[in-house]
Amino acid sequence: MNPLAEVGLIVGRELRKNFRSIKGLILCALALLGGFGTTMLLLWVEKMKRQSAADLSLDQLHAIREAGLSKVYGEEQGKYLADAPEVLLLMLLITIWVGPLFIALMGFDGISGELQHRSVRYWTVRTRRASFYVGKFVGSWAVVSTVTFALNLVVWIATMARGEATLASCVSWGLRFWLVSLPIGAAWCGIATLVASQFRTPMLSLLVTFAAFFVIWLVYVIGGVTGRAWMMHIYPNYYDVYLLSPKLDQFAKGLGACLGFAGATTALGAYVFTRRDL
Amino acid sequence: MAEGEQVESDAPVEERKTKKKPVEAAVRIKGIVKRFGIKTAVDGISLTIQQGHVYGLIGPNGAGKTTTFSMLAGYLTPNEGTIEVLGFAPKQVDELRGRLGVLPQDALLPSGDKVGEFLVHMARLQNIPKDKVLPEVRKVLEEIDGKDWWDLRCGSLSHGMAKRVALAQALLGEPDVVLLDEPTAGLDPKVAYEVRQIIKARRGQCTIVISSHNLHELEEICNAAAILDRGRVVASGSMAELTASSHEVHIKVAPTAGVSLANQIPLQALREIPHVKRVELDGETHELGVYFERREIDAETVIGHVLWILLNARVRISGVSKGRGLEQRVMDLT
Repeated sequence: MNPLAEVGLIVGRELRKNFRSIKGLILCALALLGGFGTTMLLLWVEKMKRQSAADLSLDQLHAIREAGLSKVYGEEQGKYLADAPEVLLLMLLITIWVGPLFIALMGFDGISGELQHRSVRYWTVRTRRASFYVGKFVGSWAVVSTVTFALNLVVWIATMARGEATLASCVSWGLRFWLVSLPIGAAWCGIATLVASQFRTPMLSLLVTFAAFFVIWLVYVIGGVTGRAWMMHIYPNYYDVYLLSPKLDQFAKGLGACLGFAGATTALGAYVFTRRDL
Repeated sequence: MAEGEQVESDAPVEERKTKKKPVEAAVRIKGIVKRFGIKTAVDGISLTIQQGHVYGLIGPNGAGKTTTFSMLAGYLTPNEGTIEVLGFAPKQVDELRGRLGVLPQDALLPSGDKVGEFLVHMARLQNIPKDKVLPEVRKVLEEIDGKDWWDLRCGSLSHGMAKRVALAQALLGEPDVVLLDEPTAGLDPKVAYEVRQIIKARRGQCTIVISSHNLHELEEICNAAAILDRGRVVASGSMAELTASSHEVHIKVAPTAGVSLANQIPLQALREIPHVKRVELDGETHELGVYFERREIDAETVIGHVLWILLNARVRISGVSKGRGLEQRVMDLT
């Protein structure tokens, strides 16, 4: 059996397990409800903004949005993103900000839970350890991506229902934003799987994963404050700017960085997992 | 169409066959050492287990049985030495896929999985052809008397049921080597008996390695064993060699009130039995030991002669055993 087939079987089981477990169902429900609530709030804020700027034309509002986005993303990208429904863009930013929390909660016991009860021993006589590890990583990424897609779907429907965007605009921009969240999610899943797999106690895995995420964020903030740009590269969310770029080279840079993160952490994790005693 | 399907479903079996190495020994362990920090759990164990044998790993707590077992299953990596299972290192999963079945000790089944889907998942990872997965899983479930357990969650099983499901996954797909770590530990006598029957039913079909504390069980099931103590092999060989059943018999004698045992037992007559080397009487345990030349005479013939002499001397006999019994042997060595 080739390693890909092994990974496929492990991923299939991870999806079944996560979407059937109480923890998985609660987290999914919370994510969807939270997403829906946030969307409604954003739509309400949007409506308030419109009302307070009732004397401005749509073109003027667009120009204000473009100016604002240009300050964050640069002129060209600001212009490009100004066409997107604002709620969807804000939802993407919220998703990638909250994503690590969801990833940590969803994946902390993926491997450590199996190590704690030694259930992993049923697998390691049947699959290469590296396949098992990669399967766990891809499984956690697939779960997060599926939930994020469902969340996006809720947002699109609510946005269309409130008349804030057309179906074409929702699908076109919404799908693009969801795709942007995938490589960033992969990077976080890679880090979470690597950290969590080092421990046999799931609770310890969770705490250390949170701590690791916090340290990464802290390094990013310190880098930003002190002007050391290289420090900011350690934070996967940093690459959203690149991933949102209409320029192919910028996009490729962001994609490469995120997938590089995911690949490097997974390769390291799989190497350690292959050599350790279970 | 049917022909095409046949070819497709048989392909993985062919693939497995091509990875087989012609080996005499099912398991070959050479000088393995395993240290946990400063503690040496296994200290230079070497063993060879022939194909088709039921082999026991015996020893007290801390002897290194489970550590050795874990290295055989690939869970632990030895610090020194080599292990070969069917000619491959235990971590060569692809080469050993479906050929090595393992019942780990204390490994919980995934509580959220249903028994059926867990076994199906395991079978698919073993590369059992898709069309044979369900029949194979049903077969092992039937073998462990659990054919109605398909939809039960593993987390809801009793200890005995969980042990049998764990045994079922080890027996999936007719593996060539089956490693069983404490297969009856913590089971009630009835379930333990049933598990022993399942293992016995597999005797001769594959090589079975059992690590256990239960010496009576091992004596009953195994045809060879190694006795471990403090991480070393202190004795190994066939069960007959270990228990000395092929060169000594023991007769438990019931004392008669007012008569000395030494006067009652015709020791000289016993010593004159052909090929008997030595006769010993233990006055405290009331046990008579008769030691003989195993190449010249078998235990059954010696027992016949000894009993004839003792019964003629009106000695009351309360028990006869070939050899010293595995338990006694282990007690002597560890």
